[in-house]
Amino acid sequence: MKSFIPYFAVAAVLAAIIWAVSFGTLPPADFTFCNGDEIKTVDPAIVTGAPEGRIINALFEGLTRWNPKTLEPEPAVAASWDISDDKLTYTFHLRKNARWSDDTQVTADDFVWSWRRFLHPATGAEYAYELWYIVGAEEFTTGKIKSDFSSVGIKALDRQTLQVQLKHPVPYFLSLVGFYPMFPVNQRCVRKHGYPAWTKPENIVCNGPFRLKFRRIRDRIRLVKSDTYWDRDNVRLNVIDALAVSSSTTMLNLYMTGRADWITTVPVEVIPELMKRPEGDFTPSPFLAVYYYVVNTTKPPLDDKRVRQALALAIDKQQIVDKVARAGQQPARSLVPTEIRKYIDYIPAECGQYNIEEAGRLLAEAGYPGGRGMPKVEILYNTSENHKAIAELLQAQWKRALGVDVRLRNQEWTTYLNSRRQKKYQIARAGWIGDYVDPNTFLDMFVTDSPQNHTGWSNTEYDRLIDFAQQEPDEKKRLAYFHRAERILMDEMPVIPIYFYVSTSMVRSYVKGFYPNIQDVHPLRAIWIEGKGEGGRKSRN
Amino acid sequence: MNTTHGTSLGQDAWRRLRRNRAAMLSLWFLAMLCILTVLTPLLPLQGPRLVDTSRQFAAPVVWPLVEPSMPAGGERNTDAVLSEGFGELGPVSDALLRLRMAMFGNWSIASICGTDKLGRDLLSRLCWGARISLAVGVVATLVSLVIGVSYGAVAGYMGGRIDNLMMRFVDVLYSIPFIFVVIFLITILSAEGIKEPLEEKYGINRIVIFFVVVGAIYWLTMARVVRGQVISLKHEPFIEAARTIGAGHGRIIFYHIVPNLLSVVIVYLTLTVPRVMLFEAFLSFLGLGVEPPDVSWGLLANEGVGAITPVRIYWWLVIFPGLALGLTLLALNFLGDGLRDALDPRIKDPR
Amino acid sequence: MAITLWVIFTVSFFLMRAVPGGPLDRERSLAPEIEKNLRERYHLDEPIWRQYVRELGNVVRLDLGYSFRLADFRVGEIIAQGFPVSASLGIVAMLFALSLGLTAGIVSAVRRQTIVDVALMLLATVGIALPNFVIAGVMIILFVFIWPLFPAAGWGTLGQLVLPGFCLGAPYAAYIARLMRTGMLEVLSQDYIRTAYAKGLPTRTVVLRHALKTAVLPVVSFLGPATAGILTGSLVIEQIFAIPGLGAHFIQAATGRDYTLAMGLVLIYTTLLYTMNTLVDISYAYLDPRVKLE
Repeated sequence: MKSFIPYFAVAAVLAAIIWAVSFGTLPPADFTFCNGDEIKTVDPAIVTGAPEGRIINALFEGLTRWNPKTLEPEPAVAASWDISDDKLTYTFHLRKNARWSDDTQVTADDFVWSWRRFLHPATGAEYAYELWYIVGAEEFTTGKIKSDFSSVGIKALDRQTLQVQLKHPVPYFLSLVGFYPMFPVNQRCVRKHGYPAWTKPENIVCNGPFRLKFRRIRDRIRLVKSDTYWDRDNVRLNVIDALAVSSSTTMLNLYMTGRADWITTVPVEVIPELMKRPEGDFTPSPFLAVYYYVVNTTKPPLDDKRVRQALALAIDKQQIVDKVARAGQQPARSLVPTEIRKYIDYIPAECGQYNIEEAGRLLAEAGYPGGRGMPKVEILYNTSENHKAIAELLQAQWKRALGVDVRLRNQEWTTYLNSRRQKKYQIARAGWIGDYVDPNTFLDMFVTDSPQNHTGWSNTEYDRLIDFAQQEPDEKKRLAYFHRAERILMDEMPVIPIYFYVSTSMVRSYVKGFYPNIQDVHPLRAIWIEGKGEGGRKSRN
Repeated sequence: MNTTHGTSLGQDAWRRLRRNRAAMLSLWFLAMLCILTVLTPLLPLQGPRLVDTSRQFAAPVVWPLVEPSMPAGGERNTDAVLSEGFGELGPVSDALLRLRMAMFGNWSIASICGTDKLGRDLLSRLCWGARISLAVGVVATLVSLVIGVSYGAVAGYMGGRIDNLMMRFVDVLYSIPFIFVVIFLITILSAEGIKEPLEEKYGINRIVIFFVVVGAIYWLTMARVVRGQVISLKHEPFIEAARTIGAGHGRIIFYHIVPNLLSVVIVYLTLTVPRVMLFEAFLSFLGLGVEPPDVSWGLLANEGVGAITPVRIYWWLVIFPGLALGLTLLALNFLGDGLRDALDPRIKDPR
Repeated sequence: MAITLWVIFTVSFFLMRAVPGGPLDRERSLAPEIEKNLRERYHLDEPIWRQYVRELGNVVRLDLGYSFRLADFRVGEIIAQGFPVSASLGIVAMLFALSLGLTAGIVSAVRRQTIVDVALMLLATVGIALPNFVIAGVMIILFVFIWPLFPAAGWGTLGQLVLPGFCLGAPYAAYIARLMRTGMLEVLSQDYIRTAYAKGLPTRTVVLRHALKTAVLPVVSFLGPATAGILTGSLVIEQIFAIPGLGAHFIQAATGRDYTLAMGLVLIYTTLLYTMNTLVDISYAYLDPRVKLE
């Protein structure tokens, strides 16, 4: 016993070190990026986050794919398509050489099966509502028609022809089928192994430009080029590592030591310094997303429109952008990011500009001159240094401009969501990333029965306009309806937009095929490496 | 032997302690710190909550040492200015603050420790943060001390089945990953509908919850250490002697054993206060510490570490909170050492 | 042991369910019908006592099912992947803590009240006085950027082991040094040590042969809490150095209401802590002849 313990300890230490070091015997990847938090799953039907999106975009492919520069839908699994004159029937012609990684063909039937699975109530797909534009889809998901898929407007006319019937025209439908939740899964594979066992690297069958080599939880996901992908000649990376790193400081450390070629976010504290880098590898670009506050309109004093307007007018958004966000974000006066104008002909309706006098007047009109007599207001935010800083600044601004006392409360993510949903808040921080380039993705959140509407605000005129817009085939009229709806929203102010996000990717100059775009989507299939030698050395300083 | 030793032990110890320069220095430092902490509102400091984004990440300045810092009053009354810079305060602090306004007016010490990302004065935040950090450290430790020593001493002394049972209970508690419990308790108690009544009726906020939870965690270690010591003490001749002259169990434990534990307990105390303060910092790292706009040293240190990046280091945001924590804990440790040497009757000549 | 685990299981089970929010809460609210289906699938629609019985059964069968947050993996798989990482990190940290701590403690006790003593204790105090995220931040700047010896983050090479191991072990090295010094001083003043000196034995022999065994007792009883501390400290260190251990899972599981994973981790941690404490008890009895093992 006596002599045994030290030997045992030495053995344990040796074993630990040897085991740990054996982890590192991996051939290096061509391209390494920090993907943010560990992904939830690689099953396209189930996920919602950006990190998951990056992986699924590499593993699977839908009917269309987005051009990495312009985001235009391009032919992918569907080689071509026909759209009926009433814009309600889409017929997709699948390409013959679209293949699964087990070297079988991707058929129209695969799509019918995958979308049936996606819409099926038991799958619990969070994005299911995106396909509810299809005839009968909503009824199928919500269980109004029981397990009878034949009434849903998704049909395989033959092996290579898929027909989809929409309820009303959807101008962005072609983009939508290139969005990752709508990607097909291999029915033989899913049936054989069941969910979630089919997602294991040894079981998974996929149809995208890359295959899943292995997953180490919270370490990395390794992707290798697929040799069955139809467009494999244009895929130039062979091995990719997606690192699961959640702290932005760690990401920056990895980037600066040359361990990562692309990081998706950087610490806010150093953004001004990064923007000054001679390498020019940090150039924030506009992003279809808005940072805003939601207001619970069911409780006084915030049930009074004038109080909400006063609070909104008294926010110096420029100061928030310049001093806290710091990456050249645009102050927001509308819910729909103004940048959308570069892609479609929509001009967002804006609320009033920063105006303390007007704010003070409105507050006095509401019965709280100089903030006197005003009940305490509380800002709720999910735990994060940035949200905290913005809330603190807002607190100071309101105090100074209106004399209004504001308390701050932070909750960790799940509790925060729960508080929002149950309307146990007064003002809460929120953010929304557009799923597709259309005002609808922002504006339909605030119709009365939307599950995303946590404000308690309800306006029949608004509901009616959004409904009209969704039914309207004429593009111009449709956008005009949206504009009118947003004008109501920006007058009533159940939401207070603060700023429009920018993408804060930092990427090495030798990484080519990486284009800034409004959705912050950078498909891995389009990326290649050129002239890494000198670039790597230079940026190491 | 210990009964006659009682009073002279204290005087003896004090005499010995006074000869220990490091310990006395620490004692003075800590005493000063406590006074400073209490009188913080009276000092000519800038408002710890006064946001001024034109000065964000300003490096420390040494000259001019004094500057008018309150936003120009204009038509706005003092109340508004004060509550913008200092927030809502208790009656005592509020009175002190008003006294300070009467004494120094608009003048306050310049940002000799620099400013943070919202341009708030770090020196002032450190001073106000000291109030919370010290309170957390001291109160939680005292809670753990009282529970831990009595529990450990009883268990160790009784031995046998009682000891076994008591320690089994400690083992059960010990094996609970307390981080988990702390996270849950804090989220439960800060949920809407539970938080408000607690705060308004009983004045219980996150900090108070913190005292209790931390106190409840750290007594375990104290109990274990004390028990271990008691076990090795109880076979000592002087305890046997006390037993043979018919002293009761309670008497033996609290008169004969506990005083002899003093050195261990004090050393442990000087280790526990820092650990509690660090635990607070750890919770701040996870976002579960004090809630802004309140500040604590842990929160400040965490904010500072966020500002350490390979591109740019805002050194003052790390150095000063680190220094504040470090110096305080250093002083606590030296004082603990000094007290140990002074109190331990078994070391007759420390030199 | 079984009872301990059961108590902890019960407490965590009800605590978890008392906290507002559940594993199905997302940013995008689900349609009520979908949410209902999901609740059914995960048996969250059942009365709480049935969930309790079901989960207790799962625990007994050592299969907690799939994680909510990391939906592709069973709780067992996650633990099987993360545990060895955390364990080897912990062992390396412990190695640092013990080797540095014991050496420093003994040296400063023997060289009492000299510059060496003061310097070592000052260093130890700094180690105790700073949160480990501060130490880690400073270490990264020093040894990754200013003097590029080690990689910034990740796992798998010897270099990647040193910084996190050191940062995790440093505060415990400091505690151990102090405890060791105190214990050693106490022992050195005792009669049997004086006797040993009187016999003319060299300091080295006296300290290492005679004094160490008794003086190390406070350190031994600190090992249990130290292990617990290293386990929880690894939450911070693993996050800063992006190490795929259990620590990061733990926080995420708790804050994300990942019921199954959180339960698995609580039970694993409990087992670990329990085992360590038992080991400490045994070694305590073995080291101190005055304690009889009951």
